[in-house]
Amino acid sequence: MRRWIRSLLVTSAAAGIGLASAASAADSIKVGVTQPLTGAVAASGNYVTNGAKIAAAEINANGGVMGKKLELVIEDNKSNPKEAVVTAEKLIVRDEVPVLMGAWSSTYTLAVMPKLMEYGVPMVVETSSSGKITTSGNPWVFRISPTSEMEAKSFAGNIEDFGIEKADMLVVNNDWGRGAADEFSGMLEANGVEVGVIETMDASAQDLSAQLSKIKESGGDTLFVTSGVEQLTLVLKQANSLRVPHRIITTGGSQSPSQLIEQAGEAASGSYHVLFFAPWFPEMAPNADVAQRFVDQWNENGYNAAGLTEGFRGYDGIKTIAAAIEKAGKAEPEAIRDALWNVKVNGVNGDISFIKQGPEGRESGQNIPNVYIVKIENGEIVKPEF
Amino acid sequence: MDQLLQHLINALILGGTYALLGIGLTMIFGIMNVVNFTHGELYTFGAYMLFFVVMVLGLNFFVSLAVAVVLGIILGAAIEFTLLRPIRGANIDTTMLVMIGAWIVMQNSEQWIWSGIAKSVSTPFPSDPLVFGPISVSYYRVFVFAAAILLIVGAHMLIHRTKLGKAMRATFQDSDTAALMGININRIYTATFALGSGLAAAAGALLAPVFVVTPTMGNIAALKAFAIVILGGLGNFKGATIGGFILALVEEFGAGYISSGYRDAMGFLLIIAVLLFRPTGLFKQAERIG
Amino acid sequence: MNRALGLGFLAFLVSIPFWIGDQYLLHILINAGIFVIGAMSLNLLLGYTGQLSLGHVAFFGIGAYTSALLSLGFDVTTFWGGELVVGPQPVWLSFLAGIVLAGLAGWFIGRISFKVRGAYFVIITISFAEVTKLVALNWVDLTEGPMALISIPPFSVSIPGIWEATFYGKTPNYYIMLAIGVVSYIVIKRLVNSRLGRAMVALRENEPLAMSVGIDVTRYLVLAAVVSAAIAGAAGGLYTHYVRIVDPDVFLFIYTVTMVIMVITGGKGTLAGPIVGGIIFGVLPEILREFMGPEAQWVTYGAVMIAIVMFLPEGIVPALTRFWERRKESRDASDRMITGRAASSATETPSE
Repeated sequence: MRRWIRSLLVTSAAAGIGLASAASAADSIKVGVTQPLTGAVAASGNYVTNGAKIAAAEINANGGVMGKKLELVIEDNKSNPKEAVVTAEKLIVRDEVPVLMGAWSSTYTLAVMPKLMEYGVPMVVETSSSGKITTSGNPWVFRISPTSEMEAKSFAGNIEDFGIEKADMLVVNNDWGRGAADEFSGMLEANGVEVGVIETMDASAQDLSAQLSKIKESGGDTLFVTSGVEQLTLVLKQANSLRVPHRIITTGGSQSPSQLIEQAGEAASGSYHVLFFAPWFPEMAPNADVAQRFVDQWNENGYNAAGLTEGFRGYDGIKTIAAAIEKAGKAEPEAIRDALWNVKVNGVNGDISFIKQGPEGRESGQNIPNVYIVKIENGEIVKPEF
Repeated sequence: MDQLLQHLINALILGGTYALLGIGLTMIFGIMNVVNFTHGELYTFGAYMLFFVVMVLGLNFFVSLAVAVVLGIILGAAIEFTLLRPIRGANIDTTMLVMIGAWIVMQNSEQWIWSGIAKSVSTPFPSDPLVFGPISVSYYRVFVFAAAILLIVGAHMLIHRTKLGKAMRATFQDSDTAALMGININRIYTATFALGSGLAAAAGALLAPVFVVTPTMGNIAALKAFAIVILGGLGNFKGATIGGFILALVEEFGAGYISSGYRDAMGFLLIIAVLLFRPTGLFKQAERIG
Repeated sequence: MNRALGLGFLAFLVSIPFWIGDQYLLHILINAGIFVIGAMSLNLLLGYTGQLSLGHVAFFGIGAYTSALLSLGFDVTTFWGGELVVGPQPVWLSFLAGIVLAGLAGWFIGRISFKVRGAYFVIITISFAEVTKLVALNWVDLTEGPMALISIPPFSVSIPGIWEATFYGKTPNYYIMLAIGVVSYIVIKRLVNSRLGRAMVALRENEPLAMSVGIDVTRYLVLAAVVSAAIAGAAGGLYTHYVRIVDPDVFLFIYTVTMVIMVITGGKGTLAGPIVGGIIFGVLPEILREFMGPEAQWVTYGAVMIAIVMFLPEGIVPALTRFWERRKESRDASDRMITGRAASSATETPSE
């Protein structure tokens, strides 16, 4: 018994020392990544992480940052805002990373933000779309993904193409979904489109027939849906079986049309998707060579092709961070933050640079990304005909 | 009016699977006095097994359904044999704690084996729906409904028309006397648990193509099964069947006309109301309180 | 002997921030401590009255949300149409309000659920926790729903106009946790050693008998539920002002299960049990983190829980106490052979 206890103590002490020695390795620069690797939105988090790994491998193959290796410290936030805070705390306090990338959903990112203020560490936000993130006066936040507002604005030019007269909405019940519903309905009404019903669904809800039955009755011609790819699969399948007559347009950038084709089959046919990267048409991207190279590396690594539309965010995020560290000349939080204001990166989505948003003196950084629309037709992804 | 009809059809279709989930749980409680926290995991297990046999092994869909149910029955029997038999006669709290432990082990094993990424299962049914005027419903969901009703009737027949069922009913009424009459109580318990598990696995397998398969899909299913069983009265077979349809109706109309966000809350509010005013369930039947 | 051990342990706990160095470990200890307090409160119901309450996380969450909302301030449209606006309140006041409201919820749920026993009781408590979770999720006006309440102020003390301190750091939060833990421990200890506590144990052992000797069963159970819920609410308030974010996931069933595992592993119906169990399961995940994924860890915990219920139903603390006493007895016996002195095998009740 006593010997057993002693051996337990020895192992745990050894584990502690192992951690300590890993932390003091000076020949690498650490970047903290917090993503949902398990739980409800695990698929997306894993794709983003894959993209981040590709970026790190590419950077290290080309000599690293300031001659040092870039080392990703990846933590799982378990699709839960509280865990997102715990992982950020761990990355900052224990691993002493000078910069973070995360945390996928708006809810997780908003949860982490006070910790960035508290410890003074910058974070590059790769996915979240809630306006609040860059307008709440947190000078440590730099977002490369578009806000719902930007997405809605860029869609305004397409209202005519689609000939939308009355639109309904079905969104996931969180910052992301509600934000999208607010921005899109505002934009549509400003452009003379009537907005019918706005329905919400719990992130874990599987049976959406009640919401869809209500939408079916509303008499709109277009249904905007914002949610993760799993729930979109359910929406498409159930809308099809309920004969919801609407044209379905998904927004939010986490849709992965390839996965929708695979999982929803014919039910996905005829749907449109607002995306931030269209890997089927890399030539559409402003930096076509970067986009093509990213797609090639993704496939070489054997990652699921369905994840490309999410994975590029991780790639762009790490590239942005690496550029900022290089510019700062040292891996320290404050220097990296100041450098982020001046970076210019050729990303997969397009050219990344930050403009100021939020209250004066405490502005957050916001990138202006590109938005694409694709259509699913008979199991194929095509450019829309307009 | 059209919307009303559509909601009604949705509720009816949903109610069939709810009832299927409910009767498995209520049987296990009624006969064995065990609150089965692994019920939702057997539902998940059924769904994953269907996915495995159809999508990975590539067998015929209907054969695969049967395989998934049989595997569910085997797993149920194994749980009864290894976890419940050794603590036979222990008080109900002890068995509940053991079943909660089993729930944790099963759910996390599923997460471990299959990862968190959702799986989807395709069926041989056409994806275009069946349309009657303003109402439409997919062919597969009609099949699910028919299969659920068939299984419920089958279970009912098994309990009322077979020797095994007779022994089960005897055990339900008085296990000591049943044992004295020469009934092998252990065998009855294993059979009951296996049957209840098979029904849960059947519900999971049937619904897998309708929804997507995830490791945590069983949680909400288990909670609904509890609600149904409480509505019908613990241990009441007919009560659970009707309870399934009532819950589906309340949810569907609650979501359609009150608030879609509170859809899942309807069931629990119903439980609390029933327990407040009629703690033995909506339907009369002499029933001990566990 | 026990008192010395307890004070020694407390002194050890007090000394930790002076030598630990690694702030992250302190963070783990604070989190574990919060769960220990939750487990101690659950033990009052589960261990002393013998009621398997599986909705305990509801009280924790109510404490957390109440304290968070009051300290942030809120405005909400009430059911009767008017608008209720509450400005930000001092943290200590919010924290107390959280305890009171959790206690009230305990009273309410106690009144309802103690009419039934066994399976019905378990299911009604689970349902209650699920309903509170769904309310937190959907009453977006008040709770922000899945968007979570963020930027919750940390604990602070102030003498208005003269001096104030806000506790962002780990060390002050650790001591706040420890202080609340000690107070909870004393409250529970006083309670179970009082007439009331003896009545509760009597009713756990034999309810019909307890009733026949005139114990008002429901009254005692409700009282236990109120105290238990209030302490769980305190743990929730502590959590909320330390983590500074609260979302509907605080109501997850798995957190109740975590507390249940802590209590039964340590030893239900003993004062030390939840502390031992809580420390084991609060710290273990961090040690195992490097070797096992979260799923593998949970598979292990589930298996441990089954094994304990089946093979060591009393838990670790009573088993150790017995082991200790048996050793002492055999040593005393050999002493007696030599000196002829009578051994005082003062077998205390296991509730010490």
